[in-house]
Amino acid sequence: MRSVKVALVAGLASLAAALVLTLSASPMRVASTNRVPGTETPIASTRAGATYCQAHEVLPGGSSAIRVWLDAAAGPRVEVTVSSGSRVLASGARGSDWIGSSVTIPVKPLARTVVGTTVCVSFHLHDETIIVQGKAAPAAVAAHEGHRALAGRMLIEYLRPGARSWLSQATEVARRLGLGRAAAGTWVALVAFALLVAAVVLASRLLLRELA
Amino acid sequence: MRLHASTMRAQAIGHAQTKPRDRPATRMGLAIAGMFGLLPRAMLRRVPAAAWICALVACLNAACWSITTPPFQAPDEPDHFAYVKQLAETGELPSSGSEQVSREELDVLRGVHAFGVRQQPQEHTIASESEQRELLNALAQASVDATRGSPAAGLAASEPPVYYALEAVPYILARGANELARLQLMRLASALFAGLTALFVFLFVRETLPASRWAWTVAGLSVAFAPLLGLMSGSVNPDSMLFAVSAASFYVLARAFRRGLTTRTAAALGALTAIGLLSKLNFVGLAPGLLLGLVVLSVRAARGAGRSAYRLIALGGCVALSPAALYIASNALSGKPTLGIVSSALHLTHGSLFSQASYIWQLYLPRLPGMVDDFPGLFTTRQLWFNGYVGLYGWLDTPFPAWVDNLALIPAAAIALLCGRSLVQRRSALRARAAELVVYAAMALGLMLLIGADSFHAFPETDAEYAQVRYLLPLLPLLGAIFALAARGAGRRWGPAAGTLIVILFVAHDIFSQLQVLARYYG
Repeated sequence: MRSVKVALVAGLASLAAALVLTLSASPMRVASTNRVPGTETPIASTRAGATYCQAHEVLPGGSSAIRVWLDAAAGPRVEVTVSSGSRVLASGARGSDWIGSSVTIPVKPLARTVVGTTVCVSFHLHDETIIVQGKAAPAAVAAHEGHRALAGRMLIEYLRPGARSWLSQATEVARRLGLGRAAAGTWVALVAFALLVAAVVLASRLLLRELA
Repeated sequence: MRLHASTMRAQAIGHAQTKPRDRPATRMGLAIAGMFGLLPRAMLRRVPAAAWICALVACLNAACWSITTPPFQAPDEPDHFAYVKQLAETGELPSSGSEQVSREELDVLRGVHAFGVRQQPQEHTIASESEQRELLNALAQASVDATRGSPAAGLAASEPPVYYALEAVPYILARGANELARLQLMRLASALFAGLTALFVFLFVRETLPASRWAWTVAGLSVAFAPLLGLMSGSVNPDSMLFAVSAASFYVLARAFRRGLTTRTAAALGALTAIGLLSKLNFVGLAPGLLLGLVVLSVRAARGAGRSAYRLIALGGCVALSPAALYIASNALSGKPTLGIVSSALHLTHGSLFSQASYIWQLYLPRLPGMVDDFPGLFTTRQLWFNGYVGLYGWLDTPFPAWVDNLALIPAAAIALLCGRSLVQRRSALRARAAELVVYAAMALGLMLLIGADSFHAFPETDAEYAQVRYLLPLLPLLGAIFALAARGAGRRWGPAAGTLIVILFVAHDIFSQLQVLARYYG
């Protein structure tokens, strides 16, 4: 049946195009952070909704995501706003399907770097507990919940696309994939690639045989 | 296609008419032998080549997932590994649910930075030669620290032993190799279950939709490329065996509904239930539906064969429940808790029956008037289940960006519409098969109730502890049937093309899921 051949070719061509498009994009890299790995300290915890704000931040130009260190077993929806005075420079939200010790919230990037911004993180909770990780700081510069100062500053990272595309980093990713194995080597990535290609080729041939 | 359907009918009739009147015990023995592959030739010859190819594709895909997922970065894998170590090295079951696995395993977990990477999406796995050297040192240290077994196996400790006993084979075969080599070999053994799952989904759809030969392939391949099946079967986890046994159960049920219940199928259903219960406790959710199926089929058989058909219920039931009965009896006689380590979990119930029912309802569906809101601000159907199916990998710490979840609504809606169209077109056939559909629905409902009740145990400390889509994958045969129906819903002319696009959609889903995993761990 011709329509099956057309559908298969069109489907695989669209998939290839989507792959090229995806791999030509750049992975996110940390543009700025106040975090020193391994030094995280709980500065607040809550079982209710809260809005925590932190002043004296710098929003790097091109930041397309903000990562905040919040500990949750099943994270709630989180909203973030970056403002300068009364003007909101960037904002974004992340749905409730996150887990772990940090949450990354996509925001619309701003072309230029802005200093002296305030970052506010908001969420609503129902029975769950959220722990805010940060580093100890005097009340004058600490993050706030309303007028109450927290025990320190929240850990915040600003992310933006790196300079190199995924495609140009393929060999490095393949090398890292090959580490941490029983028999380490880049060949491990080639085996994975070959397995997937074999599966796709077999499936395509089967579709042509059974459906066409 | 018509010729094939009539051939199948003739085979079914012939099967019923020419079957020798062998003794029930012999027939049961044959059925059980067939289950364990001791009598495969005649049965295997009847399996279409397309089904084998679907199985091979699923195996290859799961094997690929076993490489892309870093060691111990699949759900609960360290615990399952510890269980196998204990069983393989001591021949005994784990005795503690503590997370304090053996020193040997801990050395390796530290060497691959498992604790620093787990649920820390910003952290990658080891990325430098110096870290690799440290890992090699850790592996060397692990061989020095080697102790026999691991009495503690964390969450896995309460699970039944069959899957772990099977995984002990590659573990023992890799004697002399380091823990990571053993883990990889065990993962590859697990990948075989993905093949069995796809095979039985193909066969299930062949029985349920016999007239659309091409649609069987759509179902088999779609499931073979399901990313969650790849992830779970590409790691050491009894879920992989559970999916395969569940798919086999659906197939045998469908076969019995189409061709009639025989001693052989009754024994096979019983044996599958027994194997399922010995594979993973979650099978308890499917068992009532399976037993209901056995009852319905026996009642049907009794219309033609008289009351003697009811013996089939007893046969299937006895085979199904014998391992559980033996386990309970041995515990009772030895003075241990009746249900072993499971007993403690059963004492965790809390809240009223209504609050539990309300919670379970809301875990899957929007809240009804009069219910207390257990998930404020959360649309569970969409956010927990749909988004969870679209992509949540690793230790549930590797999702797609939110826009992908939104985009996925389009093909999902298209598949739902096509499937609905197909069902409406064949509503008279549906009515005729209402009893069969009720049995499948009972199996699905039982599993969902089990997940809901277990999650309720942890509520309110955790909103939805077990709201993980992998727990619903025992229902993959039904998903396969939905894809086949959706393809048929596009009509006689465009159906095969729509089926092709559905399979390509799953190929794309799988590839991008693995890329997401690569980006998260190695980017």
